[in-house]
Amino acid sequence: MNLYLFQALNGIGLGMIYFLISVGLTIIFGLLNFVNFAHGAFYLLGAYLSFSVVSITGNYWLALILAPIFIAFIALLCEKTLIKRVYHLPHTYQILVTLGVALIIQELCISIWGPIGKNISPPDSLKGVVQLGEFFYPQYRLFVIVFAAIVAFGVWILLDKTKFGALVRAGSEDAETLSLLGTHTHRLFSITFALGVGLAGLAGVLAAPIKGIHPFIGPEILGLAFFVVVIGGMGSFTGALVGGLLVGLVQSLMTTFWPQGASLMIYGAMAFVILLRPYGLFGRA
Amino acid sequence: MIRKYLKQSAIALSILSATGIVNADTDPVTIYGVKSLSGSFASYGKYADMGSKLAVEGYGEVLGQKPVYKVIDTEGNAGKAIRKVQEAINQEGAKYFNGSTLSSTALAIGKEVHKSDGVFITPAGADELTGVSCNASTFRWSVPTFGAIRETVKPLFKEHPDKKRWYTITPQYVFGEALLSNAKTVFDELGIEHVGNSYHSLQEQEFSGYLTNAMAAKPDVLLLLNFGSQSSNTLRQAINFGLKNQMTILVSWSSGLEQFQELGSDITENVYFGAQYWHTVDTPVNNELVTKVKNAYGITPNYPLAADYISTTLLLDAIAGAATTDTKKVISTLEGHSYEGPTGTETIRQADHQVLKNYYLLKGKTAAGMKDADDFAEIVSSGKSFPEESSLACKAI
Repeated sequence: MNLYLFQALNGIGLGMIYFLISVGLTIIFGLLNFVNFAHGAFYLLGAYLSFSVVSITGNYWLALILAPIFIAFIALLCEKTLIKRVYHLPHTYQILVTLGVALIIQELCISIWGPIGKNISPPDSLKGVVQLGEFFYPQYRLFVIVFAAIVAFGVWILLDKTKFGALVRAGSEDAETLSLLGTHTHRLFSITFALGVGLAGLAGVLAAPIKGIHPFIGPEILGLAFFVVVIGGMGSFTGALVGGLLVGLVQSLMTTFWPQGASLMIYGAMAFVILLRPYGLFGRA
Repeated sequence: MIRKYLKQSAIALSILSATGIVNADTDPVTIYGVKSLSGSFASYGKYADMGSKLAVEGYGEVLGQKPVYKVIDTEGNAGKAIRKVQEAINQEGAKYFNGSTLSSTALAIGKEVHKSDGVFITPAGADELTGVSCNASTFRWSVPTFGAIRETVKPLFKEHPDKKRWYTITPQYVFGEALLSNAKTVFDELGIEHVGNSYHSLQEQEFSGYLTNAMAAKPDVLLLLNFGSQSSNTLRQAINFGLKNQMTILVSWSSGLEQFQELGSDITENVYFGAQYWHTVDTPVNNELVTKVKNAYGITPNYPLAADYISTTLLLDAIAGAATTDTKKVISTLEGHSYEGPTGTETIRQADHQVLKNYYLLKGKTAAGMKDADDFAEIVSSGKSFPEESSLACKAI
C-alpha cells in the first residue's frame, strides 16, 4: 500500500476518534446552547474510571459499558445541582462555572489516582495488527473506527428519528413553548446533558489504550474538541463528523508532507474554514 | 543635644548591625528546593521534594545547627518560579537552591541565583546549563545530551552491529535538536545509516503518522529523541502498531522508574531506555539510598528523588567542608570535588560545573522476569561520556 493512502486511512481512523471526543460537546452546545468547558475533564474521568475497572476486573469490555454510564450519572447530578442554574446566564458565566468543575475533577483525579500517568492495554482479542501491504494497522484502532461509526449512527437515529430527539430539537428552538405544551423541559435538558457528557466519558474509555491516561489530558482534549466543533459548525452533528474526519486527515497526511507542521496545520485548516464559512462547515448563523 | 542624640543613635545602630551579623552567622543553613509541586510536572516535583527533604532531615548538623529545608513551588512555570526565587532572595536572604527538572525554569533560576551570588544545583537536561548559558553559581547533576546519546546508541550498536538502519523521531526544539545532532555525529562515527527523521511539535500527542513514516523507511532501530509524556505516547502507539516485532526501539532519554510504572511491562519489555539513574545500581550510596527511601516513604527511589537527594547532599557537604556559608568558598569547595554518589564515583568538573557521572542503557524485562513490582529493567551498560574540556561551550566560569 502506498504511504499516502495509508496515511489517509490513518487519518480517517484518527478522525473517528476526534468525532467521538467532540460529538458530545456539539450536542450540548447545539441543543442546550450551553458551553461546557468541563467536557475534557469528563473525558479524563471516563479514562480513569476505565483504568480502575480494568485493574479490578481485568475486563476492558466491562469498563466500556460501566464507565460511560457512571460518567453520565455524575453529569446528571452535576446538572441538577449546578449546571441548570446557569443555563439562562451568558456564555461567559457558563465557561467560568464549567472551568471550575473541570479543575475540581482534575484535582480529584490526582488525589485518587496520583500524579503519575496510567496505562490500559487494549483487550487481548484486539492486541494484534492487520497487515495492509507494507504497513501494519492496530486491530484496536480498527475496532474504534467501527465502534465510533456505530455510535454515530445510534446518536443520529436518537436525535433525528425518535420522539426524544424531536423534543430536544424543539426545546433548543423554543423551550418555553415546549414547556407550555406539557413537556418537562428541565428533565429533557438534564438527559441531553448527561448524554453529551456520557459520550465524552465513552471517548475517554476508547482513547485510553491509544493515548494513555494522565491528569492533564483534559485540557488537551478540550482544545481538540473545540477545533472540531468550530470547523464542523457548533451544534451540528454532521459537522462534528466531517470536522473530525477533516482534522484527522489533515494531521495524518501532514506528518508525511511537513511533519513538524502537522499540529500547526490543524489550526491552519480551522482558520481556512472560518474564513470561508464563519459558522463552520455545517453551522447556522 | 543634637550631637549627643546622634552619638547615641550611632551606637544603637552599630549594636543592631552587629547583632544582625551575629544572627546571620547563627541562622541555620537553609536549602531552598525549587520544585514543580503543582501543574503539569507535579509528578516530578513530588518526588524531587521527597529527595531533598530526606537529605536534609538525615544530614545531622552543619556549622553547629540542623539544616533547614524550604520548598518553593515553581508550578512548572519559569515566570512564577523566578518571582518566588526573587522573593526568597530579597526577603529571606536565600543563597542555596536545588532542584528544577524543567530546563526552562532551571535556566531562568540559574541566572537569578547568579545575580545574587548564590549557589544552585539542578538535574535539568538542557545542554545550555553547563554550556553557553553556564555561570559561576550553577551546577548540574544530570548527564547532558552528548553523554545520553553516546551511552545508549554506542552500546546498543555494539550489542546489535547488524542493525545499521536507524530512524529518529525528534521534538522540534532546542533539546530535541541537541539530541538529534549528537545522534547524527555518532551515526557517522559508527557507520550507521540514518534512514529518516520525523520532527514533531512540543504539543503533539498523536504519533501514528510519524510511526507510519518510520514503517515506510524500514529501519532496524527506531530511536525516540522525545521525552516525558511524548515518549510514552510514541512508545505506546508504536507497540500498538506492532513495531516492536519489526524493529528495535530505543528511548534515549527516559524519565526512569515512573515512566516504566506508567507504561507497564507489556509495553516496556524488550525496549531499550536511556536513564540518568536506576534503583538497582549497585553502589554503597545507592544501596543506602534505596533502604532509606523504603524506610521513609515505602517506595523505590526514582530519578527525581535520587537526583535531588544527592544534589541537596552535595550542597550541605560543600557548606560543611568550606566551614562557612560564604557562597564563593562553597563554590570553590564544589569545583573539582569527587565523591561517592548513587551512580558510583562522581566528579564536579571545574570548567563547566558539570557532574561527571554514569548514564545507563536499560532493557525492559518481561513480566515473568521481574523480581518485584519495580524490577522493570536490567542494566545493559553504563558509562561516562562528556565533551573534552577544550571543546566546551561554557566560557563564563
